[in-house]
Amino acid sequence: MTAAVEIDHLTVQFGLFTAVKDVSLQIRQGEFFSFLGPSGCGKTTILRTISGFQDPSKGIIRIGGQDMQGIGPNQRPTALIFQNLALFPLMTVAENIGYGLRVRGVPKADRDRKVDELLNLIALSDQGNKKIEELSGGQKQRVAIARALAVEPKVLLLDEPLSALDLKLRQHMRNELRAIQRRVGVTFIYITHDQGEALTMSDRIAVMNRGHIEQVGNGRDVYENPETAFVAAFVGENNGFTGMVTRVADGLATVETALGTFNGVNRKSLAVGAKATLFVRPELMRFDGEGENIIDGHAADAAYEGITTHLTMKAKDSSSVVATIAGATAKAFPESGSSVRFAFTSRDATVLPA
Amino acid sequence: MSSRSVLNVMLAFYMAVFFGFLFGPLIIMGVSAFNTSTYPQVYPIEGFTLSWFDKLLSDRDMVYGMKNSLWIGMWVVLLSVPLGLAGAMMMNQVYHKARSFYYVIVVSPVLTPGIIIGISTVVFWRDLTTTTGSKFLYDGVFLTVLGQSSFISAYSMLMFMSRLNRFDRAQEEAGLDLGATQTQVFFHILLPFLRPAIFSSAVLAFLSSFENYNTTTFAILADKTLTTVLAGRVRQGTTPAISALAVLIIAVTVTGAIIYELVKRHEDRKRQERLDAAHKAERMELQSIENATLHA
Ligand SMILES: Nc1ncnc2c1ncn2[C@@H]1O[C@H](COP(=O)(O)OP(=O)(O)OP(=O)(O)O)[C@@H](O)[C@H]1O
Ligand SMILES: [Mg+2]
Repeated sequence: MTAAVEIDHLTVQFGLFTAVKDVSLQIRQGEFFSFLGPSGCGKTTILRTISGFQDPSKGIIRIGGQDMQGIGPNQRPTALIFQNLALFPLMTVAENIGYGLRVRGVPKADRDRKVDELLNLIALSDQGNKKIEELSGGQKQRVAIARALAVEPKVLLLDEPLSALDLKLRQHMRNELRAIQRRVGVTFIYITHDQGEALTMSDRIAVMNRGHIEQVGNGRDVYENPETAFVAAFVGENNGFTGMVTRVADGLATVETALGTFNGVNRKSLAVGAKATLFVRPELMRFDGEGENIIDGHAADAAYEGITTHLTMKAKDSSSVVATIAGATAKAFPESGSSVRFAFTSRDATVLPA
Repeated sequence: MSSRSVLNVMLAFYMAVFFGFLFGPLIIMGVSAFNTSTYPQVYPIEGFTLSWFDKLLSDRDMVYGMKNSLWIGMWVVLLSVPLGLAGAMMMNQVYHKARSFYYVIVVSPVLTPGIIIGISTVVFWRDLTTTTGSKFLYDGVFLTVLGQSSFISAYSMLMFMSRLNRFDRAQEEAGLDLGATQTQVFFHILLPFLRPAIFSSAVLAFLSSFENYNTTTFAILADKTLTTVLAGRVRQGTTPAISALAVLIIAVTVTGAIIYELVKRHEDRKRQERLDAAHKAERMELQSIENATLHA
């Protein structure tokens, strides 16, 4: 099967600045694919290149196997949901949704039928005559999606579409977006800097940093098996200890850090002498001091969040180390200032090149 | 008397002087148009009459000039509004460094004295039509339309520019993305957005043309417009017929302004209703999410 979208050695430059560096990846048919990365890492640029608003400096974009070179945005089988939605304020809801069909010359009767169908899909039946101004944030969001789906694109591109909504609505819309995607089966390419969004919605995630891809994988992969220090630190919370590899054996690497000598899984087969960071997730850190690797310090803070509690320890170089534990067990955490001992199992730690 | 009421009295006095300064001449015109005295005067009122309006309407030069002015005004609108729009759109396209240069060039007619525009229009077209043997183009109305449009289209460009600055480029891209051509985007999205600016620049263009004297007095050649007829009349001494004309013009303007205000209020009310509806939808949305999570 050909990939829905194939990005082949894509580079995009603005003058001397390289916004996207040699990115290659394939996005499958019907997949919910996310680009996750910090602000300014080039996510929007990739999306604009796929939709045809930005020309690649180097490399090729293929959609459904076809090279998109020289094909304008209005000829591509993609539809873009803009960061600010860009709904047409002077048109009604129905006119917005039907716009793509109108400019294609679809007869009014067919257009109306399709618009009704989509209004139904987004649970806004018989609100087609409203003006955009009359809608709530979530409704606008859904109209933007319906407008894009109306032209039956092969690929729907979404640029942080939820970032303008307030938290509660955002979480609700995540589920709704995912449900719509399942129902229509269109390939979604989703951009976000919110890892929670990426993890909950996506089939696969590409983690980006400064214009290049650090890792591509499903949410579990990216969270549990980060390939680079950037991914380990960016996706989810993490404790990182940087130092030098002093020994490698049995798939483990020993790293000498400012807080002590620790062992962790040597995923990238680092050699002795390499600079490395050893990562331990807070939920894998124990505060009862049981484990092969031990960190001593002083209790600093216990942030109770109901289900979990985040315990923060000030280590001897005054860096913070966090352990996340079940809320109920947190009572045993000593008072602020008294000495505590954190510990972790070597199999729970990951050693990555620093 | 407290200092506060002193302030109020002073403020009231100031307002009276200010409005007197603004509207005094108009009031004098207005009253004198209905006074029987043959010289425009407010006091004493010698009697009420509508005869000055009769006199005005049977004044062939004046009526001719008025018709000519309206005709010229219409052409100036038809020429300046599209030109101004094109100029403003061009402004967004030109290369960054050329932008301020372009701006100066296009706006310079506004800064050039009207007399100079009038004279140079005449000189240019006289020479051009003589050397090319197209003397029929050397026509007062035609030259006036061109001369006035050269700076009125710059006004109109400035108005379009400020509106275009508020245009969200994502709208244009959204149109293209949905499959529209550039032409469709222009007619379906950009033009409707610009409609208020089209309306106001058309009104401004018409009024600037209608009241223009400096450029017109040269460019009109041997022909006449209302302003040139009036200028000639006033030189011979003003009559209440001119006051009657002023009353008519003021009446039209005020009626226009009132209609505009009523329409605007109606639209504001509509808009407020839509925003209220949006707020309500917003609240209901959050409510329904809360309910859903409570029951889950
Ligand atoms: N047209 C342009 N000209 C010059 N530089 C640009 C242009 N567009 C983007 N850039 C730069 O390219 C980089 C990547 O931008 P991009 O918009 O793709 O980031 P992003 O990942 O979408 O960030 P955000 O999360 O803030 O939206 C940024 O540093 C930006 O300043
Ligand atoms: Mg962006």
